[in-house]
Parts: sequence; C-alpha cells; structure tokens
Amino acid sequence: MSKATVELPPKAGFNFDLCRRNDMLTKNGVHAPSFLKTGTTIVGLVFEDGVVLGADTRATEGPIVADKNCEKIHYMAPNIYCCGAGTAADTENVTDMISSQLLLHRYATGRESRVVTALTLLKTHLFGYQGHVSAALVLGGVDITGPHLHTIYPHGSTDTLPFATMGSGSLAAMAIFESKYREGLTDFYIYILYLCQSIARDEGVKLVTEAICSGIFNDLGSGSNVDVCVITKGKVEYLRNHQKPNPRTYISSKGFSFLKGQTEVLSTKVTLLEKPQQEEGVDKMEE
Amino acid sequence: MSIFEYNGSAIVAMVGKNCFAIASDRRLGVQLQTVATDFQRIYKIHDKLYIGLAGLATDAQTLHQRLVFRHNLYQLREERNMKPETFASLVSAVLYEKRFGPYFCQPVIAGLGEKDEPFICTMDSIGANENANVIGIELAKDFVVGGTASESLYGACESMYKPNMEPDELFETISQALLASVDRDCLSGWGGHVIVVTPTEVTERKLKGRMD
Amino acid sequence: MTIFVGGFVFQFDGFQKKAAETMKHAHGTTTLAFIFKEGVIVAADSRASMGGYISSQSVKKIIEINPYMLGTMAGGAADCQFWHRNLGIKCRLHELANKRRISVTGASKLLANILYSYRGMGLSIGTMIAGWDETGPGLYYVDSEGGRLKGKRFSVGSGSPYAYGVLDDGYRFDMSVEEAAELARRAIYHATFRDGASGGVASVYYVGPDGWKKLSGDDVGELHYKYYPAVVEQEMAEVTIA
Repeated sequence: MSKATVELPPKAGFNFDLCRRNDMLTKNGVHAPSFLKTGTTIVGLVFEDGVVLGADTRATEGPIVADKNCEKIHYMAPNIYCCGAGTAADTENVTDMISSQLLLHRYATGRESRVVTALTLLKTHLFGYQGHVSAALVLGGVDITGPHLHTIYPHGSTDTLPFATMGSGSLAAMAIFESKYREGLTDFYIYILYLCQSIARDEGVKLVTEAICSGIFNDLGSGSNVDVCVITKGKVEYLRNHQKPNPRTYISSKGFSFLKGQTEVLSTKVTLLEKPQQEEGVDKMEE
Repeated sequence: MSIFEYNGSAIVAMVGKNCFAIASDRRLGVQLQTVATDFQRIYKIHDKLYIGLAGLATDAQTLHQRLVFRHNLYQLREERNMKPETFASLVSAVLYEKRFGPYFCQPVIAGLGEKDEPFICTMDSIGANENANVIGIELAKDFVVGGTASESLYGACESMYKPNMEPDELFETISQALLASVDRDCLSGWGGHVIVVTPTEVTERKLKGRMD
Repeated sequence: MTIFVGGFVFQFDGFQKKAAETMKHAHGTTTLAFIFKEGVIVAADSRASMGGYISSQSVKKIIEINPYMLGTMAGGAADCQFWHRNLGIKCRLHELANKRRISVTGASKLLANILYSYRGMGLSIGTMIAGWDETGPGLYYVDSEGGRLKGKRFSVGSGSPYAYGVLDDGYRFDMSVEEAAELARRAIYHATFRDGASGGVASVYYVGPDGWKKLSGDDVGELHYKYYPAVVEQEMAEVTIA
C-alpha cells in the first residue's frame, strides 16, 4: 500500500497505463492522432562483393509530407545497415535497440557482427509483438560469410533474397528490379569484375537509384531524394542524398521580408543570460 | 473528431542565425468552446531549452511534469543542463514507452546547444523523431510545426521562412506565420506567445491577435 | 402549383452520405434577431468552417429576401441560400397575384412547408425570417426539421448560447435603434469570442416600417480591442542568474 509514489525512471519495456483511457476515448468517437509513417520505397540488392541499400526520404503524417528529407537507412553495426518502412517510431526504435544488442554482443565475443545475428534478433523482437510494432525492414550487410540481404516483415517473417523491395513503393521498385536485375551482376559480369571491380558496384548503385526513383515518382507515399548505402568487405559508403531529383522550384528570389515592428505586441519581457550584473532595459515596445 | 481537436493548438519553431524562436497560440478550448485565452503551451526546461506541447492539454501538462522530473534527476546526477539533443532523445524515449497507449501530444523542441548552435525538432505522439536522428543527430535546417493549425503553418512557414535571419527578423517572420495560420483555424489562436532565444538573451512577447 | 414527381428515391450509399456530410458548410454560426419598439434587429457573424478549417471569413449570412424581409443562415450554406432565393420567388409571385406584400407569417409558413416536405432527406437549415408587414414587425424561427416558431427573440447556431447570454441580459422592449444595434453587435461579438466556429464580421441589420437597412459591419478582430482596449504591459527587463 504505502509504497512511495515517486515515479522512478522506468524499467525496460512498454507501458500500458493509458491504454484503457485511450480505448474509452476511441469508443466515444474521439480518435487518436495518426503517427508519423514512412510510406516508403526501400530496396536492396546483392552484387558480387557487397550489398547496395537504397531508400527515399519522405516521411508522411496522413496526407501531409511531414519531413521532406528524412533518413531511412539505419545503422545496425559497422558492417550492417537496415532500411526501415512503416511507423517511423517503430523502425527507429527497433533498429536502435537491436543495434545496441549487437554492440554488446561484439564486446562479449570480440568478433564482427553477422547479418544473420541481426536478422534473428530483429525477427524475434518483431514476432514477440505480433505485428503491433509495425516495422518492415530490408537488412543488408557483409560479414565473414559474405554479402547478405534479407527482408523482415512486421510479424516477424523473413526472406533471404538477391534483390528486395519494401514499403508502399515496393511494387514500383520491384518492377525495375524484375526487368533489369540480372544474375549478371554477379555471374554475367564475373569476368569483368575481376578486371574492373567498380563496374558491378556502379551498376548496382545505378539500379538501386533507378528503383528508388521509380518509387518516388510512381508512389504517392514516397518522394524527395535518393539515399544509397553501399556495403562491401571492410568498407561502407553511405551516400546520403545520392540523387536529388526533386529540387525546390517555388522559392521566390527574395522571399518575404517583414519590417521590424510590424507585428503588434502586447507585452515584452527580456531576460539576459550569462552576464548577471548589467540590467538591461529598453527594448522597443510596440503598440 | 481527432483528439488533437479537443483542445486545439498551434506551435511553431524556427531557426535563425545563432538563435531560434518558438511560438504558440494562447487558446485552450473544449472543442468549439473557448475556455481560456492565456494558456501556456510552451514550457521552459532551462534558459536555453524550450518545449512546446501541442495536443491534449491534460497529457501535455502531465508529460511536461514528467520531463521536468527527469531533467531534475539529470541535473542532480550530472550537475549540468541537458543538451537539446539529449533532451530530444529523452522525450522520444518517454513517448515511445507508451507506444501502445500514447500521450496525445506532439512535442516541438527548440534549444541552443553547447556551442550556442540552434536546435529544433518535432516528433509524433509516439516519439518518432522528425528532422533529428536519435543517434546521429541531424539538425532541422528550417522550421517545425505542430497542432491543429499545422497544415496552415506548413504553408505559411514554407513561403515565409528564410535562412540565417537575425533575431528581430526571425521574430517578425515567426509571428506573422503564426498569426496568418491560426486565422484559418477555428481551434487555435486568440493571441500568440513568442520566445526568441539568442546566446545572450531571451525575449518573450505576447502578440496581439484576432480574438475570434 | 408544385407537383412532386414520385419515384425519386433519396437513398444514400455510404460514400454519398460521407460526401454530403463533408459538403455541409457553415455549421458553426452565430445569428440572432429580436423585435423591439422600433422594429426588428437582425445580426450575424460571417465565418464558414469545415471541421476545424476556416473556409471563409466573409460569408453573407443575412439574406435579403425582399426589401421588407430578411432571412438568416445557419446550417448548410447551399441549402439556406437556395431555399431563401426560392422563398423570394414565391413571395414575389404572391405579391403579383395579390397586389400586396406577403406577410412575414405567410412567408415563413411557405418555407416551413417546403422544408417539412423534405424532412429527413438531409437538408440542414436553421433560419429566422424577420420583416415588416401590415401587422408591424414579424419574426419567425424555421428549421429543416419542420419546426416554425413565432417569437420576440431568437438566436441560432453553435454560438447561440453565448449570444443568448448577452441578449437576454441586455434586452428591453423600449430600446432605441442605436441601443438595439449595439446590443446585437455585442451579442455577436461575445459569441465569436467564445465560439471557435463563429467569427469574422458582425453585421447588423434593422427592419423598420420602410424596409430593411444595413446598420453596420464590424470586424470582430477590431471590435474586441474596442470593447477591451489592449493593455500594453510595461516592458520588464529581468536579470536572472544564467
């Protein structure tokens, strides 16, 4: 009973205190606000010695573009990155949590993280929440066993694929992959690969960019810029805003300028910081 | 009806040259009925850090109290103020804890960092950071908005905002954006409240606006 | 004579119903009218809203049916406008047929009968018909549910409780036109202050023996500071320990 009511910083895990109240409100016709979503195009493909991940940069809140240049390729480990689609809070938090688990695991084992480890951690986490944590992910990385690409669905199921797409723009992106991805990126070009390694890589980046652009232009939930991340053995190239196909076109050359004192003010209070001695007074008072 | 429309609110924050401004409306209503016209929606965390909480007023006040509590604990332990980035992560964590039963408010955070660089960001009601990444924090370059007038605010800010404004011009811009936007919203307005923070001083102004 | 062609089925599917609901403009409104010694005063705000969004601040909510009669608008804007114009036509026809102007009683009943015939089909109207006829000033409240009330004092719309508060407090029968207009203006202003869905301009009309006349149209944004002059607080310069 007389337990101290002081609220301590919470223990781990979700808190369900407000659920009953919120359910009551919903039943009474008062709706919860929509969450920030990344109605997204995210893709990934495997090439000979690495993985290319790609994402658009639009975040939406209902019909509103809430962020025109957000980051959807999340860091998991130095050799593993993960694209996230779905509810933004979930993709951010789930990748953060697993990323810290991977770090601890690296400390414990002294070895580089493996992509399958990240995959298993993610899928067990998501499965545990039975799809309520709505994160759809494309996980890619290069470890001791080579390059790997996986997709993870919100309910916890996974796929292992040579090329993958996710999010609302996945169909548009997949259309590009299905028509243009060739095993050639691994086999067909294998000879050229030996001669000039960067061709396959550049080809991969080009294809990923094209797939994302397809999502940006054909899916309303995706837009703005193309982010690309190329992971090869011992090297990561995070190409933030690799392509900017949608520059602002409507900015006026001068913009608005407001004269000082145009806004009518009822009261002004000036507080000086740092220099405590000097009393300052006279800022102009309008109206 | 959305829960955000229960009390009504409008909050906006903008970055200027070595300064920032955060502004809100002053109405507290119960749906269409205006109950108060001197309501505080922007809360001070410390001299150079402010948070505006749009949405359900009861949750905003509770959340604010919890944030102050957590900030106090931090101050006791660390003997320093939180950096805005740290505070944003805290808010995000506090909100995400209630992922399945959220507080119905949208925070707008604005502060000056250690080197007096301005920081602004916003989140949804479950702590998904917008404009700032939880790990590698990326500053919002321009403005962030929240509340029932957010759609009008997006439009006003998108056209009125200019980079690198001095404090005086920043004040005029944010005020005009706010007043213009709330005049298109039934549920917010009834005056405005603007705080402009520079490395050396904080200027808090109450705006004269339409009272309908 | 109006003949209703049978077989017209008013049946909405889910989408049509939703669409019809979205199209309902100007649900939030404050309108009022009252009879006093000198005639009738009619006043209204000018805001139109869709949900929380203000779609217009300059709506004409007082409809001039003819030089001696006014109607007010609350509910669906299109419904009100259409049926008031329709009423205007009917009143004019009555005038031509009978060589005298229609009474306010008669006009309001024409409208009420039409609205009753459409009852339950989705019309949304809350109106007051105010005017001057052979019997003197007349005022009726008519709504889309088929209701028709005669009275001395009415207010309609989401801001009406606030308007009634001011109106009931300040009303006297033997007011001058100026006093009555000021009371109406004040009532509308107070309603716009408290009601989120009312605002814009407070227009006041007066209907006397010589027909209606618009007395004023004041922006309530300015009216507020006329009634309650802004107290500009003395600027404080505070020093705190950083």
